Amino acid sequence: MAVMCPVDFDKARLRAEVQAIYSRVALAPDGAFHFHRGPAYAVARLGYDEHELDALPLEVTSSFAGVANPHAIAPIPAGAVVVDIGCGAGTDLLLAARRAGPSGRAIGIDMTEAMRQRALDGAGRCGLTNVEVRAGDATRLPIDDQSVDVVISNGVLNLVPDKERAVAEMARVLKPGGRAQIGDIVIGEVLSEECLRDIDLWAG
Amino acid sequence: MIDVFASAGFTEVAITARFECFEGTTKQSTARRYRVVGANLSAIRAQS
Repeated sequence: MAVMCPVDFDKARLRAEVQAIYSRVALAPDGAFHFHRGPAYAVARLGYDEHELDALPLEVTSSFAGVANPHAIAPIPAGAVVVDIGCGAGTDLLLAARRAGPSGRAIGIDMTEAMRQRALDGAGRCGLTNVEVRAGDATRLPIDDQSVDVVISNGVLNLVPDKERAVAEMARVLKPGGRAQIGDIVIGEVLSEECLRDIDLWAG
Repeated sequence: MIDVFASAGFTEVAITARFECFEGTTKQSTARRYRVVGANLSAIRAQS
């Protein structure tokens, strides 16, 4: 179920809250949050490969805050161009870069500067030269039309009030036949108006 | 969410896995009440 935003919802405030929370996740991931972070959570609850995560810098994986496992959907082909929307500190991005290999590319997009810096530093520490990180958000991807083989994302669409526009952006950048591998949350019950207006629930 | 992807021109849209990502967090009770879980969604961009 996609959760739609009330028309008078304060989207600017939500954007600021999301940036503030995820800046804290980047800089102090051991702080108090109402969602899990880190590699032990990713392995135990989401089925990530422990050895693959161990091979990434802890500065990257400690800020992991995904809610599912897009890499479990299908393998990233060698040579693929992959875009990670809302790449955060780079866990899924660097895994994609490893799988795409030197003939492929992994491009991370994130609106939080602290997260982008973590992802870039992590790519450097891993010796990955096929990684780019760009500023942007899900509704305005700084990516050319039909230039991407695989779009991945993990725990980002639920933070975006305009989900139709974000998904339309995925369709715009993917080549025909390209795949979206999305990890996000789904809701099994109809939310009350009070919940829909609770910015803390949106921002988490 | 499946409907949003289908309307945007994706095919073969499917939820392929679910995860109890909020168990053990301070949002656990809210997640249980509204049956909120993490999910993998796969979709293919249509050829035309």
